[in-house]
Amino acid sequence: MRLHRRDYLRGAGGAALSALMAKHSNPAAAQSRANTLRHITGATISSLDPTFQGATRESLPLSVNIYDRLVSMGRRQGPHGFIFDADNLRGELAERIDRSSDGLTFTFHIREGATWHDGSPVEVQDIKWSLDRAVTARSFAKAQMAIGSQTSTDQFTVVGDRQLQIKLDRPNRLALLTLSVPFLPMFNSKLAQRHAGSDDPWAINWLKDNAAGGGAYSVESNRPGQQVVLRRNDRWKNGPDGALPFFQRIIIQTVPDVSARVSLVERGDADLTLDAAASDIPGIEQRGRARVLPITQTNAFQCVSFNVRTAPFDDVRVRKAVAAALPYDDMFTAAIFGRGQPLYGATWSEPPSPSVFQPMPNRTDLEKARELLREAGRGGGFRTTFSYPSSASATVDPMAALIKESLARLNIDVTVQKMPDAQFTTMLVERRLAMFFDFGTSWLTPSDYIASNFYSGPGRWNSSGWNNPEMPGLIEQARYETRQDAYDDTVMRMVRHIRDEVPVVLLWHPSHDAVVGRDIEGYTYWFHRGADYRDLRRA
Amino acid sequence: MRGIVRVSSRIAHRLLASLPALVGVLVFTFLLMRVLPGDPAVFFASSPTAGPEEIQQIRVSMGLDRSIPEQLVLYLRDVLTGNLGRSMSTGQPVATDLAQRLPASLELTLAALVLALACAIPLGVMAALRPGSAVDHGVRLLCSIGVCAPTFVCGLVLIYVFYVVLGIAPDPTGRIGAFDAPPPDITGLLLVDYALVGDFESWLSAVSQLILPAVTMALFVLAPLARMTRASMLIALGSDFIRTARSVGLPPFKVIVGYGLRNALLPIITITGVVFSTMLGANVLVEKVFAWPGVGSYALDALVSSDYAPVQGFVLLMAMIFVVVNLTIDTLYGFADPRVSLR
Repeated sequence: MRLHRRDYLRGAGGAALSALMAKHSNPAAAQSRANTLRHITGATISSLDPTFQGATRESLPLSVNIYDRLVSMGRRQGPHGFIFDADNLRGELAERIDRSSDGLTFTFHIREGATWHDGSPVEVQDIKWSLDRAVTARSFAKAQMAIGSQTSTDQFTVVGDRQLQIKLDRPNRLALLTLSVPFLPMFNSKLAQRHAGSDDPWAINWLKDNAAGGGAYSVESNRPGQQVVLRRNDRWKNGPDGALPFFQRIIIQTVPDVSARVSLVERGDADLTLDAAASDIPGIEQRGRARVLPITQTNAFQCVSFNVRTAPFDDVRVRKAVAAALPYDDMFTAAIFGRGQPLYGATWSEPPSPSVFQPMPNRTDLEKARELLREAGRGGGFRTTFSYPSSASATVDPMAALIKESLARLNIDVTVQKMPDAQFTTMLVERRLAMFFDFGTSWLTPSDYIASNFYSGPGRWNSSGWNNPEMPGLIEQARYETRQDAYDDTVMRMVRHIRDEVPVVLLWHPSHDAVVGRDIEGYTYWFHRGADYRDLRRA
Repeated sequence: MRGIVRVSSRIAHRLLASLPALVGVLVFTFLLMRVLPGDPAVFFASSPTAGPEEIQQIRVSMGLDRSIPEQLVLYLRDVLTGNLGRSMSTGQPVATDLAQRLPASLELTLAALVLALACAIPLGVMAALRPGSAVDHGVRLLCSIGVCAPTFVCGLVLIYVFYVVLGIAPDPTGRIGAFDAPPPDITGLLLVDYALVGDFESWLSAVSQLILPAVTMALFVLAPLARMTRASMLIALGSDFIRTARSVGLPPFKVIVGYGLRNALLPIITITGVVFSTMLGANVLVEKVFAWPGVGSYALDALVSSDYAPVQGFVLLMAMIFVVVNLTIDTLYGFADPRVSLR
């Protein structure tokens, strides 16, 4: 073999480069890799305190790994993975919960031997302080607690060494459930109070960057916007069967590039990513180097929303006309590649089930749409806009084109507006959009809660600004209704209103599509759409 | 001694003269952010239970309930005391964020610039020595490719080839491997820090993380540097003193580097300064693709979510760096050409 001078140089250079770039490997590192879960995300975590006003969405799921709550939802096996189960509440920091027969008093028995991360025992005063904080401090917890009829510190009483009572003035279906969401962490009050000041009695500023919990993981390091590292709390025993989580260390790292996130999991350098692009999912499944878990997000929806407060969408006939003109099946294929569960195309005239989230009788029917427009005196068409935030463009770009094309057949001239997220949200809240895309998640799944968030009130999530005079009454009636059949009847009435007035056109429950390494098991889709690392294990 | 005093008084004079510009930038950015049609309070109150009351509370905590002139005065006062405000998306003071992220951007930019200069100057000189030759055309082709392919495309291609297919590059997720020990945090420049503490294994790991993004950025700025080198070398090589030097039989290296390149240096230094400032701010896409925790991607994220303070802080930082870079360039002129002095 003749070795040419240049070839030799090139080979040597290449070898040097690979030596330089190759990762050093030793058995100890391999061992720690097996016990470490690396979660790659596109988002940033801004606060360790989930209740902090201004915490990014991803800060909320993180907190359930660091803080225990009094109660937690269970999980059940679905066709493609586990999914949260709101009907199966279990005590987390409370080992037992007694409910009085009138439904007005809950007694929580704090788990024997439970400790905070610093080793000090969990005392009932800590729980009292945490609940007081939730209804008093300027935080996201306050509004959440109000939904469960808990608004005053007088409602929380210490009644024993390890017992605390919550008293309600009316039986509320959400009273207990609301304590299971990330906004209700239980704090180590002694630690937090050491860092509280006279201007900040609830340690809001300190807790934002420091954790004072007793959950399954403690925070090893936190570089906001870049990386959070969690370490397992080996004293933790508040899990379903008292077992420790599998992973000893969790690395949550922000990687902005969407395709890099997928490559990392496919190459085995990372174990989990929740925000892969929908368009990448079929390719990942085909290559088979990572697993995709297509779990339907039954508590989330995507929709086309109308601003019902201004013309032309203040006229219900115009909204119905558009609802009859949307090309549903094409949108389902083009926007989310058929991955999800349609909320359109039903044929009922009376709602078949007492649920706000169910397929609505909206179908593509251009003849009907034309007739409705004629009735509304807009047979000649009109000009309007369809807006969406740029972060949703992967899904909505194709959808917008289809909507524009389809509505053009009714002489409705749609201008597509894609705008920065902050601008979109601002215009939505100020009710300055006409027709737009929206995406909502409901942490709690009872229909009265969904309706109170998405179909009533002045908030951002009642995106259409719909103001049906009967809805608030129905929602309140349902929330305090103890008889199931009466509750169901009330929900049916809400569904009929929604069908009759079409403030939004529900499209579908999207699919969650978690991408996990092939050896990762136990992934659970949670209502907060984030990962609960306590569920996961490596095969 | 007198020389040092004179130079430092000139530097002080220059810095002082740049103050009005900095204030102008500050006010302009402040107003520009307020004109943008997004309300940060609304954006950051998007929790499922956040109503008008929560939005108002966030607005008050950000000081957005005050009038714009009032906000401006408060902001200028804060900036004077070194307080650049707080970022809503990371929850940290902007000054802390920037101080943490600037070294990352600086290290990447400097590495890319050194790499680019090390390639561009020899290439430019070679092209100038034989204009119209195969070498010249080759350099032109390389430069065109570097300029035409957007940086993120280069970055993605490099990641695809070296990480996804060949598997010799480490995963493109920032400055150190996810499982490596955290850096010592002395200067923030990892290569310097690891060398200082003598941890050469980590130093190599940091270099391997740096190679791909640095090459990506270097490719992008290769063209202006190489083209400028070629052009000014052509002029220098065509001048009388080069003909004289050649005619008296000086060695070619001395003629080309000692007389030619030295005289061609002024425009190259100028363009290097411009390129450096541009790279520092404009490497957003490279930072995004390689998850590099720099200031560019930080500012972009803040801009998208109408997070005022980080954007204003970023622009101020860039303006200050621009002042310093210009000053440095002007000082370098003196070395390249003693006839030019810092005024």
